[in-house]
Amino acid sequence: MLEFRNISFSFSGRRDTVEVLRDVSFACREDEIVAVIGPSGCGKSTLLSIATGLRTPTAGEVLINDKPVRGVDPRLGMLFQQTTLLPWRSVVENVELGLEIRGEPKKARRDRALELMAQYGLAGFERKYPHALSGGMQKRAALAQTLAIEPKVLLLDEPFAALDAQTRLVIQNDVVKICRAGRRSMVIVTHDISEALAMADRVVVLSRRPATVKEVYEVPFSREAASVADAPTMPGFADFYHRIWQALDISITGMGAAA
Amino acid sequence: MSATARHHLLVNLGRLLVLALILIGTEIGVRSGFMSRLFFSSPSEIFGALQTQWANGSFLPNLGITVFETLLGLATGSLAGLIVGVALPQLRILSNVIEPFLMVLNGIPVIVIAPLFILWLGLGLPSKIGISIYIVFFAMFIPVYTASLRLDMTLVDALRVMGASRNQIFWKVIVPSSMPSVYTGLKIGSGLALIGAVIGEFVASRAGLGHMILYASGTLDTPSLYLGIITIAIFAACLSFAIDAVGPVLVPYRFSDEK
Repeated sequence: MLEFRNISFSFSGRRDTVEVLRDVSFACREDEIVAVIGPSGCGKSTLLSIATGLRTPTAGEVLINDKPVRGVDPRLGMLFQQTTLLPWRSVVENVELGLEIRGEPKKARRDRALELMAQYGLAGFERKYPHALSGGMQKRAALAQTLAIEPKVLLLDEPFAALDAQTRLVIQNDVVKICRAGRRSMVIVTHDISEALAMADRVVVLSRRPATVKEVYEVPFSREAASVADAPTMPGFADFYHRIWQALDISITGMGAAA
Repeated sequence: MSATARHHLLVNLGRLLVLALILIGTEIGVRSGFMSRLFFSSPSEIFGALQTQWANGSFLPNLGITVFETLLGLATGSLAGLIVGVALPQLRILSNVIEPFLMVLNGIPVIVIAPLFILWLGLGLPSKIGISIYIVFFAMFIPVYTASLRLDMTLVDALRVMGASRNQIFWKVIVPSSMPSVYTGLKIGSGLALIGAVIGEFVASRAGLGHMILYASGTLDTPSLYLGIITIAIFAACLSFAIDAVGPVLVPYRFSDEK
């Protein structure tokens, strides 16, 4: 479905060039959830902005169904880490934004937005402004907005980092369900090992900058566990957690570790 | 009666009391000779001045001229400041080139530049309107311009990923996100528009409230001087209330108190 093929990316600063990604290749098949995990600042998010056409790779290409992607592709939907709901629009006006941009007629896009909002537990909040919603509901609204344009591949850039732990579990679970129900593909960038293991079918571990693909793990928990919250209790979870932690190669040099 | 209702009643009664004390105090003070007639006027004398000016047909034209200059200056200056403030950041090179020139122009005290406007536009209304436009322009331009430079790029990225064109991004993100600063600009500009008009009248004029005050001051007509000040104060207050009422129209989401 979505493939990153030999992607390299460098920033050109005023004096020097910073190499962020080096020859990164992996794919996300149809109806598959891939988590990309790596040390902070390794360029995980850059991968997604390359896929969405916000950045152009220095080398390599992004393909959908074996055809190169040029610029912004309507088959990709993205959920950002920060809230991207427009504060001056009511929630329903935000949810229908993508359809509005595509020039859908007013009535059709409003109906679709209302339908999605009802589906995602946002009924009764249509006329509210985003700031009147809790963090979890804002995330749901942003998700409804992304899904309104029916993307084939969903890209998530650390989308749940700002949520409290319990809300996060609920939304993670919803996202996995929605994704599976529509047989969508999903690439989720995260720094949270548990999130990666509980949500994904495959975990791609990136190295430090310049980032390369260090390890790829096939993990069963997302499909086999009853919910995202149950995944950590399954046999083998702790083992994978440990292996990914090792692969991330982050040294903990906090208090007392120096000795 | 609820606690808040009682609070409001007390506050309003208190305000009426303060006003009554000022009016009665000055009336008694001036009549008794305790306050000099050269420096102070009693409310009845000020009202007398109003009656005289009303009778000789000078009051309403003076008021009308200043109101006209102020409103035209406010409307034109705000519109110009808004258009330039929103459009300039879109033209990066031009913006960088002329920014220092605009900042230097803005730094010139209006009283210093007023004689130039009189020279250019004559003793009549155009010079006063010109001065008013000049200071109102900056009151609107600066907040709108700085807000455009600090635009939340995540919102722009989110729309780009949804396939929005430059044009759509401009009208759906950039323009609405400048509305809070437009409101700020109007609030500051409304006060400055009046200052600009009156300063113009002070420098050189044949009519207007500024002219009336200056004339009253020159002829030691203290009641007319107070009449001018009070009229300007009432007009400024009306203008400020009118601008406050525009807020919920321009930025409704800032005024919706639901949290």
